[in-house]
Amino acid sequence: MDAIKASDLIRLFETWKALFVEQRDFLISLDGKVGDSDLGITMSKSFAAAAEAVAAEGEAAGISKLLRTAGATMARTAPSTMGTLTATGFLRASKATEGAEVLGTAEVAGFWRAFRDGVAERGKAKLGDKTLLDVLDPIAVTLEAQAERGASLAEALAATSAAAAQALQSTKSMLAQHGKAAAFQEKTIGLQDAGATVGYFLIRSMADFVG
Amino acid sequence: MKKFLNDPVNFVDEMLEGIYGAHKELTYVADDKRCMVTAKPRAGKVGIATGGGSGHLPLFLGYVGDGMLDGAAVGGVFQSPSAEQMYQVTKHIDQGAGVLYIYGNYSGDIINFDMAAELADLDGIQVKQVVGNDDVASSIVGEEHKRRGVAGIFFVYKAAGAAAAEGLSLDDVIRIADKARSRTRTMGVALSSCVVPEIGHATFSIGEDEMEIGMGIHGEPGISRKKLAPADRVIDEMMERIFAEQDYKRGDDVAVLVNGLGGTPMEELYILFRRVSQLLGERGVKAKHVWVGEFATSMEMAGASVSVLHLDEELDRLVAAPANTPFFKHV
Repeated sequence: MDAIKASDLIRLFETWKALFVEQRDFLISLDGKVGDSDLGITMSKSFAAAAEAVAAEGEAAGISKLLRTAGATMARTAPSTMGTLTATGFLRASKATEGAEVLGTAEVAGFWRAFRDGVAERGKAKLGDKTLLDVLDPIAVTLEAQAERGASLAEALAATSAAAAQALQSTKSMLAQHGKAAAFQEKTIGLQDAGATVGYFLIRSMADFVG
Repeated sequence: MKKFLNDPVNFVDEMLEGIYGAHKELTYVADDKRCMVTAKPRAGKVGIATGGGSGHLPLFLGYVGDGMLDGAAVGGVFQSPSAEQMYQVTKHIDQGAGVLYIYGNYSGDIINFDMAAELADLDGIQVKQVVGNDDVASSIVGEEHKRRGVAGIFFVYKAAGAAAAEGLSLDDVIRIADKARSRTRTMGVALSSCVVPEIGHATFSIGEDEMEIGMGIHGEPGISRKKLAPADRVIDEMMERIFAEQDYKRGDDVAVLVNGLGGTPMEELYILFRRVSQLLGERGVKAKHVWVGEFATSMEMAGASVSVLHLDEELDRLVAAPANTPFFKHV
């Protein structure tokens, strides 16, 4: 597809919901190595609630309003750090897409830039701290470059998904600085960050969805 | 562990049931006992909310009442309440004049209060924040933003609460809260550990004859652990750090809070205040308002903290204003 319409966005949240049902146990085991194993549960719960809420609201609400509903729903469903960060990302994406009828490459770039900025502000992590941000930043940067060169949405997201996969690999060599994982320090080396994995899953799934 | 408990899992909720039963001026919203609000909100007044983990009574919810706070969200023992709980409290206490959050500098609380503020903003409620960071021991001068919030937040509640009760605007209440925050310093000392009910054993171990200066109210490591010294020497060391932080001149007024951490008798707290008073006297500084008792505890931890608020004329008036809450009454 060339652009994501409101009706597509509702289906995208269904896709994300299914994704986190499928990846629930994988995320639990990943997070369990250095965290408290609640990531898989948090993500599957919050995306299930968000998918339901946007479906109930319907496409007439428009893209920005649907994203706001998704973010607010997640904030209420998952009182954990990752739940709150993801919720913030969608609320900021909602602001960034105000007035947009559809999401083309430029709007999707704006969506992820706002998502990244929201997560950075709320989580107070820096690049290289082994967090979600280490995947979100390359996502935003790649999408902006793709938008500048006039890439189609499918092209742009495919390139971004590849960049995110690489960024996720890079988190393996990083040392955790935040959350419960920070207490494990050296033990986190060699492991991909669980939060960053969620970021990668989101963009890969979005790329598959439009491709 | 030797505690009065039923099932440890119900520790917080049974505590809350007891509090609502005893204090009818308090109620809760969103069908959630952890979302406490005053039963008699005042139209047009700036709302003040706080929140944080349980295990610190009278902090946080004990200060919901006239002349202090309008609402408090509490989490499990030493755990942040959720953004949703804070948001529910915010929605209820907003009386059209905006809401101020006053809470301690802990990452879990910050992320959830920020999120709650963002949710409230979507509803058109103006929310501002002042984050308490009075604990001198938790970071060096120049990095005060890293300091934890401890018992001194009481002075911020008191000053901001009185300002809001006078009908001041949100901007003025923020200014006053921030002034009280920036002029308050606290030093603590622990003699024994706290026990989180669901964990069931001491958070840390400390020798029978040892003290830890600067320990946090969740058992965070302090500055130094050493042999317990006579009470006067302990206060000398703590007050030296407090005096080093602000320019106290002869003739200045301060408010002093000597706070028990949960397992220390009142008698000992007064022995500590005695020395605080002597040291202030030597400097020609007057303890104009003094409170001695339990204000911010850490379960059964034995120990104490001293908070000093460097008064100015405005803070002097506001700190002394009347207040009536379940855990703090002042006429």
